[in-house]
Amino acid sequence: MEIKIKDHEGAKIIAPSGDIDMYTSLEVRKKLLRLIDQKIPVIMVDLTDVTYIGSSGIATFVEGLKSMMSYSGRLKFFGITARVEEIFNFSKLDKVFDMYGSMEDAFKS
Amino acid sequence: MITVPSHPKYLALVRAVTVKMGVQNKVDGSIVQQMEQAVDEACSNVIKHAYAGDPNKQIGVTLRLSRDAFEVIIEDSGRKADLASLKGRGLDEIRPGGLGVHFIKRACDVVELDEKKEEGNRLVLIKYLKVKRGNKDKRP
Repeated sequence: MEIKIKDHEGAKIIAPSGDIDMYTSLEVRKKLLRLIDQKIPVIMVDLTDVTYIGSSGIATFVEGLKSMMSYSGRLKFFGITARVEEIFNFSKLDKVFDMYGSMEDAFKS
Repeated sequence: MITVPSHPKYLALVRAVTVKMGVQNKVDGSIVQQMEQAVDEACSNVIKHAYAGDPNKQIGVTLRLSRDAFEVIIEDSGRKADLASLKGRGLDEIRPGGLGVHFIKRACDVVELDEKKEEGNRLVLIKYLKVKRGNKDKRP
């Protein structure tokens, strides 16, 4: 799995690619928590190239969201494919995750 | 049956085989995706709970496709699971963990632990397939 980290006007974009399962979620978690440790105020997760997400991947993002609440940071998602969106919806996480259609929408909100 | 080591890096392989089985047999795409997820979650649970993270054990996965059903049997030789442990967290409870079981249950019409297995676990997952009347296509 490749995970790109990009800067965007004070925010960070984390862009994993491929499947996020029990194995690959460890790397996503490590990189996400490293950003959260730095108290980055806005972290945007680009899911454009994510083809599958299992419960371990979801748990990683829930943990990230909860950790960011401690310093009022915001975790935002964009580029969500139909399959990943359906998984988020089923998990009722569409109600707690901030999800946007594009990076610009996520950044501006 | 395919047998893979209980290392999480082999989950991708098990998912790929599950998908291939469904696609080769023209199973509806949404069913294939949900079975892929169910098998992934079930094998992840074996690694996490039955083997407590030990990557050097074995997981057996048997896939069967008939005209009426997509069946996957997942076997391990680890710690016994009990049926109560097949309950996940409430979906409204937002916290990490406990979702895997929900993905398994939504994908499958039957989720059953074979009580007859003396050592380890045998989890039977079955998804019944809708067969159109008059469809002569017989799957292997």
